[in-house]
Amino acid sequence: MRVGALIREARASATSQPVPSIITILMIAGMMIAVMLTTGRSVGAEQRVLGSIDDAGTRTIQVRAEVSAGLTADVLDRIAEIDGIEWAAGFSSATDATNTAIPDGTRVPVRLAFGAHLERLGIPEQSPVPGGVAYASEVAFAQFGLPDVAGSITTSTGSTYGMAGTLQTPDFLKGFEPVTLVPQPDATGSETVNVLVVIADRPDLVAPVSDAVLSVLAVDDPTKVTIHTSEALAQLRAIVQTQLGTFARGLVLIILAITGILVGIILYGLVTLRRKDFGRRRALGATRLLIVGLLLTQTAMLALTGLIVGIAVSFAVLLANGDPSPGLEFTAATSILAIGTALIAALIPALIAARREPIRELRVP
Amino acid sequence: MEAVLQARGLTFGYGHDAPPILESWSATFGGGAMTALTGSSGRGKSTLLYLLGLMLQPTAGEVVLDGTAVSGLKDATKARLRAERFGFVFQDAALDSSRSVIDNVTETALYRGASRRDAIARGRDLLDRFGVDVPAARRPGQVSGGQAQRIALCRALVSSPRVLLADEPTGNLDPATSDVVVRALRDHAATGATVIVVTHSPDVAAACDEEIGL
Repeated sequence: MRVGALIREARASATSQPVPSIITILMIAGMMIAVMLTTGRSVGAEQRVLGSIDDAGTRTIQVRAEVSAGLTADVLDRIAEIDGIEWAAGFSSATDATNTAIPDGTRVPVRLAFGAHLERLGIPEQSPVPGGVAYASEVAFAQFGLPDVAGSITTSTGSTYGMAGTLQTPDFLKGFEPVTLVPQPDATGSETVNVLVVIADRPDLVAPVSDAVLSVLAVDDPTKVTIHTSEALAQLRAIVQTQLGTFARGLVLIILAITGILVGIILYGLVTLRRKDFGRRRALGATRLLIVGLLLTQTAMLALTGLIVGIAVSFAVLLANGDPSPGLEFTAATSILAIGTALIAALIPALIAARREPIRELRVP
Repeated sequence: MEAVLQARGLTFGYGHDAPPILESWSATFGGGAMTALTGSSGRGKSTLLYLLGLMLQPTAGEVVLDGTAVSGLKDATKARLRAERFGFVFQDAALDSSRSVIDNVTETALYRGASRRDAIARGRDLLDRFGVDVPAARRPGQVSGGQAQRIALCRALVSSPRVLLADEPTGNLDPATSDVVVRALRDHAATGATVIVVTHSPDVAAACDEEIGL
């Protein structure tokens, strides 16, 4: 039988048995609603909590090196070879600078910035103006006395930089405030670096990435280097994730198991009611495999309908209550599990239907 | 006359302890012939028909189709043979009440993997030929018994089967409708197919080329 014909037959079979079909759809929809409003809501909350922890910088590794330690900008080339790193940049020690127009103005620290991806800080890859430029945070601009975010600054060493834009100060640079950075796209690698910031791909990679970064620092005096990580926060994150995840998985499995058993019972009843139908099909040439395929296709269609109803209702309820939604990944995974559960539950009734002798079934009154 | 279907020493009984209904039964059915299986109730006429139609497995003996022993084949192969080479008319029509008339007629063609469009065209031709004057979308529950049996006949013929097996096809029909059904069976035999009819009707038996009593 062709696939189109199989789907048409499955749809016709489902509509010819409206009561068990509707019950099956409601079972799957109910299961989905139960999962989404319990575990799904927990997952949504978990994602919020973890997001908050992540915002606190769980993945950040900060290396501080005294000038005499001998840490240079070429360390970034070596760090680029390490797996599990999302971003890295180096910063020189601070030099005081003032608004060029106000030489006696407030002194604000300025640092040279090294790295290939400074766009993360709001520094464009290509400088908008020729010559040396600087980028400052709003706080720094205010202290320079440049409320219009324009002008130039001069350092205590006599270098002058035009102000090219505002920095987006991430959490890991908040400690530098007021922040003013001078990007060094043409750095030779021999420039001295005072602070190195490395962000790991995942919180659980903080410890191994820290070890790897330490191994490639190539400093003259390791005793003048200190490393600060958020490993404790990362561990807390892992504990939160494990605790909530274990609870959520357990609840989903219980709900899936109950639904699977109920769907199996319904389909067994449906198979028993339709003995004559299956007998006729077998007598007329339907193979056992086709009977199994027909019931499984029918179940998949009912499960899919139930899923759509369940997901729509769940999201409506979550939205109405202002609760966190679990997101696409969780919803897709749960949907696949639900359809898989329904198909497994349908397999035994389908095999029973397929194993019966056609003519004995046809003779059922 | 070439032998299309043969029963060689067929033995069958329902259950292990029950005496066999058929024991070492043999017969040969030729192409282009219509054969009546007659006898009183309980003698195994329908059982024999279903054994010949590969719906029951004989406890001994074999069914041979066009020179090939087929009763011992795998279940899937026998199912395909039922769809491709056999046509069945059951006593109570055995239509699917949830499907339309045309869906019932085309059911066997779909198991063969034939195109739905071709099957529907052939089904409509057959419905016209047998005077089933109801909309094709109507359900079997909305037609008369005579029309239902003619629809079942259309379903059996839609695949132009090599062997047509009919189990008391006129049992519940008025004489006029019985004549239509018997004529259709005869016409199909005339195409070179083998037609085997289980019947209690002397008129139907008289219309056959051969009568085998059980």
